[in-house]
Amino acid sequence: MSDNKSQIALEVNDITKVFATRAGIFEALKGISFVINRGEFVSIVGPSGSGKSTLLNIIGALDRPTSGKVYIDGIDIFSLRDGEIAAMRNKLIGFIFQSFNLINRSTVQKNVELPAIISDMSKQERKRRALLLLESLGVAEKARLKTSSLSGGQQQRVAIARALINNPTMVLADEPTGNLDTKTGNEVFDLLRVLSTKFRRNVIFVTHNQELAKKTDRIIYIKDGVIEREVLN
Amino acid sequence: MKISEIFKLSLEAMRERKARSALTIIMVLAGSGLMIALNGISAGQSEFIKKQLNTLAPNILFVNNGQRSFRGGGDTSQTPSIVINSIVVDRIKSLPYVSDVVPGYQAQVTLDAAGNVITSSVIATDPQKIYLVDPSLELIPSSSIQPNNPSAIIFGDSVANPPGKSTPFVTLGQTIRATYNYVDQDSGKQQQISKSFVVTGIIAPTGNNQLDRAVIINTASGDSLFNKGGKFDQMIVAANSADYVPAVQNEITTLYGTNIGITTPKAILEARERFTSGNNAFIQNVAFIALFVGAIGIVTTLYNAVNERIAEIGTIKAIGATRLFILLMFLFEAMMIGLIGSTLGVMSGMVGAYALSSIGGPRPGIGGPGGGAMRPIFPEFIPNDIIDVWLLSVALSVIAGLYPAWKASGLSPVLALKR
Repeated sequence: MSDNKSQIALEVNDITKVFATRAGIFEALKGISFVINRGEFVSIVGPSGSGKSTLLNIIGALDRPTSGKVYIDGIDIFSLRDGEIAAMRNKLIGFIFQSFNLINRSTVQKNVELPAIISDMSKQERKRRALLLLESLGVAEKARLKTSSLSGGQQQRVAIARALINNPTMVLADEPTGNLDTKTGNEVFDLLRVLSTKFRRNVIFVTHNQELAKKTDRIIYIKDGVIEREVLN
Repeated sequence: MKISEIFKLSLEAMRERKARSALTIIMVLAGSGLMIALNGISAGQSEFIKKQLNTLAPNILFVNNGQRSFRGGGDTSQTPSIVINSIVVDRIKSLPYVSDVVPGYQAQVTLDAAGNVITSSVIATDPQKIYLVDPSLELIPSSSIQPNNPSAIIFGDSVANPPGKSTPFVTLGQTIRATYNYVDQDSGKQQQISKSFVVTGIIAPTGNNQLDRAVIINTASGDSLFNKGGKFDQMIVAANSADYVPAVQNEITTLYGTNIGITTPKAILEARERFTSGNNAFIQNVAFIALFVGAIGIVTTLYNAVNERIAEIGTIKAIGATRLFILLMFLFEAMMIGLIGSTLGVMSGMVGAYALSSIGGPRPGIGGPGGGAMRPIFPEFIPNDIIDVWLLSVALSVIAGLYPAWKASGLSPVLALKR
């Protein structure tokens, strides 16, 4: 039993999320529960408005649930104070966004170093790690350029490097291939796959793309705020 | 949290919006520069007035035949009511605590020295008694006071050596011709009286405009040149000491009521200081408003920056930045705008103060009749004032940055990321 517990990287327990809008009360998540084991690559699939991004935001502690709990490495993340949640996001979670969310005025290297700057990593160490990551992601030669001069695929690689600089246990990717062409999207997906298989990172991958979802370990289908079904690949 | 790293991020953000940052810096610069310049000019004026006060004997009273009122710049108005003649002079001389009374005439004359013509104020009095007004007064070498010589004339420094001219107007021993124009009261016609004088003395610069910008002749010469018939324009009354000035003033007022005008150097200077300080307070308020507008500029700049960078703030929060981190990022921007703006403001304010001083209008003169001459006033910069303005500008900038910074730090990351 304790072995099973230690295998669990993420536990989502009866999460609900209700938004009060002008149109009235909108229940985005209705009692979502699931568990993700260490090293698992899970995709969350559903139509627009199904609640998959809301769920990802709650898992990443960017938003609070109306009720329910989220445990990361056994810690009830919403019992933490704001500063502790921020520190957890910084050290345990890496975010990858559909539109990359890079800071265009900064260089590629500075973008990658940003989470390490926030976590007070030494200058030499964060530089070393950033260059290593950029090297392994094939964009090392762009390190000194501004991100705006990069292609979409290159920008997403930089975003992946940024997500990994603090060596997080979990990577949350919100439609990371959504703004990329098929070929580049597949390349980015393969990089995420490597994170899971080679480096035993948990990857939670929100997507519309059924083909890519089928390449993950498990698919969680969400519809109208509830888990419709789970499929092991 | 490494403050230096946050500082670098702020600097990077500022560089991205160079033009807007520069304009906001200029707003702070204008406010702090204006404050520095006006403080400097104000301190310069105060120092100028103090210096003038120090040149005057504290025990004298200027007495004239009517009420005088100050309009600034030495301009006076008067309503003649009694005739100051030798009887009045003797009566005042007999009052308690009065040590001396020096009557005199005052008028404007045209002076012609070897074809060069200027207009100057003339004081006709006992030349030996000019030390009553300024005990520290000195004449240039080879000068002499000849009280009984009707042709002797003594020049103030600014008349003998007009400012901005490379050659003096007169030198010792030179003969000049003084012409007095007046309207004859019986015929209503313009009349003219001329008389030649020999320059027997030149007064070294005193800092007292009344002396520096006048020429002095003896009483008898004045009486004949100005056709006064023994009716004096003014008296200088010397009390036994400065402590007795109010008592003497009281005695004269008791004797002649409001038919006679009495002015003490101290009262003149106090009136001018009041005017100066009131004027400066008004201008300081304007300068503070300018600085406040600069602060509003910072609020606007940073508020816009926050709105433009909402997605960026969301991203930085998503990757683990705390509220404090975001707050400091924006506060550092405000602080840098304040630091650069106020530092440049201090420098430009000092330069501006000198520029304003050199193009200013009439400077306050002192003394009784004849005051109000031109004299440059140099700004004085008191280190504490400069530090105060600098600190105020920086503090106001940081305070101005608080609201946008607080707004940025309080943004919900999930809402920010949706922008």
